[in-house]
Amino acid sequence: MPGGGRCPDCGSAELVEDAHYSQSQLVCSDCGCVVTEGVLTTTFSDEVNLREVAYSRSTGENEQVSRSQQRGLRRVRDLCRVLQLPSTFEDTAVAYYQKAYQHPGIRAARVQKKEVLVGCCVLITCRQHNWPLTMGTICTLLYADLDMFSGTYMQIVKLLGLDVPSLCLADLVKTYCSSFKLFQASPSMPAKFMEDKEKMLSRTLQLVELADETWLVTGRHPLPVITAAAFLAWQSLQPSARLTCSLARFCKLANVDLPYPASSRLQELLAVLLRMAEQLAWLQVLKLDKRSVVKHISDLLQHRHTLIRKAFREGPSGVEAPAEELWGRGQGQEEVGNGSSDLPKGKRPASPALLLPPCMLKPPKRVCPTPPASTVTGDEDISDSEIEQYLRTPQEVRDFQRAQAAKRAATSSPNPP
Amino acid sequence: MYFFFQKVLMKLRKPRITATIWSSGKIICTGATSEEEAKFGARRLARSLQKLGFQVIFTDFKVVNVLAVCNMPFEIRLPEFTKNNRPHASYEPELHPAVCYRIKSLRATLQIFSTGSITVTGPNVKAVATAVEQIYPFVFESRKEIL
Repeated sequence: MPGGGRCPDCGSAELVEDAHYSQSQLVCSDCGCVVTEGVLTTTFSDEVNLREVAYSRSTGENEQVSRSQQRGLRRVRDLCRVLQLPSTFEDTAVAYYQKAYQHPGIRAARVQKKEVLVGCCVLITCRQHNWPLTMGTICTLLYADLDMFSGTYMQIVKLLGLDVPSLCLADLVKTYCSSFKLFQASPSMPAKFMEDKEKMLSRTLQLVELADETWLVTGRHPLPVITAAAFLAWQSLQPSARLTCSLARFCKLANVDLPYPASSRLQELLAVLLRMAEQLAWLQVLKLDKRSVVKHISDLLQHRHTLIRKAFREGPSGVEAPAEELWGRGQGQEEVGNGSSDLPKGKRPASPALLLPPCMLKPPKRVCPTPPASTVTGDEDISDSEIEQYLRTPQEVRDFQRAQAAKRAATSSPNPP
Repeated sequence: MYFFFQKVLMKLRKPRITATIWSSGKIICTGATSEEEAKFGARRLARSLQKLGFQVIFTDFKVVNVLAVCNMPFEIRLPEFTKNNRPHASYEPELHPAVCYRIKSLRATLQIFSTGSITVTGPNVKAVATAVEQIYPFVFESRKEIL
């Protein structure tokens, strides 16, 4: 009851604030006379308390599971089922997705990113259980691009503070090789190409270990190395029939994609095997090349530990150099062998010649010039000719503007992909 | 509709630097080989702009990022290094051939390659030098031993 107001009609002091729909009114409770009424329309500044709050700013977000999150969780479960993962993985992946979703950076991200996040959660779960799953597989399943995947993956690992173990190479070899369609005869595949799974797996594993010892795996994508190793293993198990088959044809037979770097990995692996073959007396006389060495892979693998040690300790001439010169354990290192002239100057490697990462064996493309030691003080005189260099002539200005306009026109009307 | 950022690139020959000049007046100077050289380059740039007729004042010079490269005299076994140095080290061969090692206290990041080459980025030269000193023992213990 507001004090001091009186109804103009009956003089009563009983005035009540009432609202007629959305219009506020001051009404006399005795005679019903409307004393004053509010404005039907309000200004923007008046409506401070009545304004809509966007959902993203309200607290409703935190209380409910949004539709987008529900969709994401469903996708996580679907992906786990497609990959035939155990059910415990599904629950862990779902938990990671929920935890990730609580961060505002992820909640407000685009749909593409949330889609890729599904893959990241599944990948982290698999890695933690040592289940070999590559990023390439997930990207193919999600139709996602690897750059987006890698960005989101690094972000989520940092955000959740997780310690993700590395990809287990041995398990990856087993899973990948098992997917090859070489172990059963089929109408499209001649019998001579069919192979026993266990034999091929064990030999591939040995070849991959050899590659790991000789710097062919570190820093590189694992799958091309495994493909090359599997190809060599398969060839060596029946060389007479299979030497003529190329890597590309092998992948087609096995019904797997040929990764692009696999051919260069194959060449590197063959080079290592040739080096090892030079140490075996009965193979030295045969003068092997890249094709014929395949026939002797089984012998080479049997003695691989000794052969690597021997092959890479001696120089290319086969002369055994004195031990002190070769063992560069932090002491002064000598250039080993005469074939090492390709090694970049200033880098004194500790490993014996040729047992180096392949990138160090190739000569550097160009020597980086050391910049001359300049004594610049910044107070030097700035000549007029130097200033002239920084200014554009009117003709250059016109050309530049024309080029920019053309570029803008070209980018503003792109053809749809 | 994209907003075209209003900036100009200007390259000086002596000292060899590239400067990004924003319309607000902020200038980012890159390419110098030492902190002093960066400052001299920025000063020379300011004087060039003065000569061109702009009212410039050289204030708030600050080195924000230093990139350094060094070479270890031995090769490094990256998987072993990562295993011994979790959680600071992160190695994803499917994405990048190097191990990324972060030192939070120095705000420095090191990229360690299997050839022994290390790239360090940090807020100033002293932090970068300290980072290399700190990483050396860890890298040394994961070096490639002769078989």
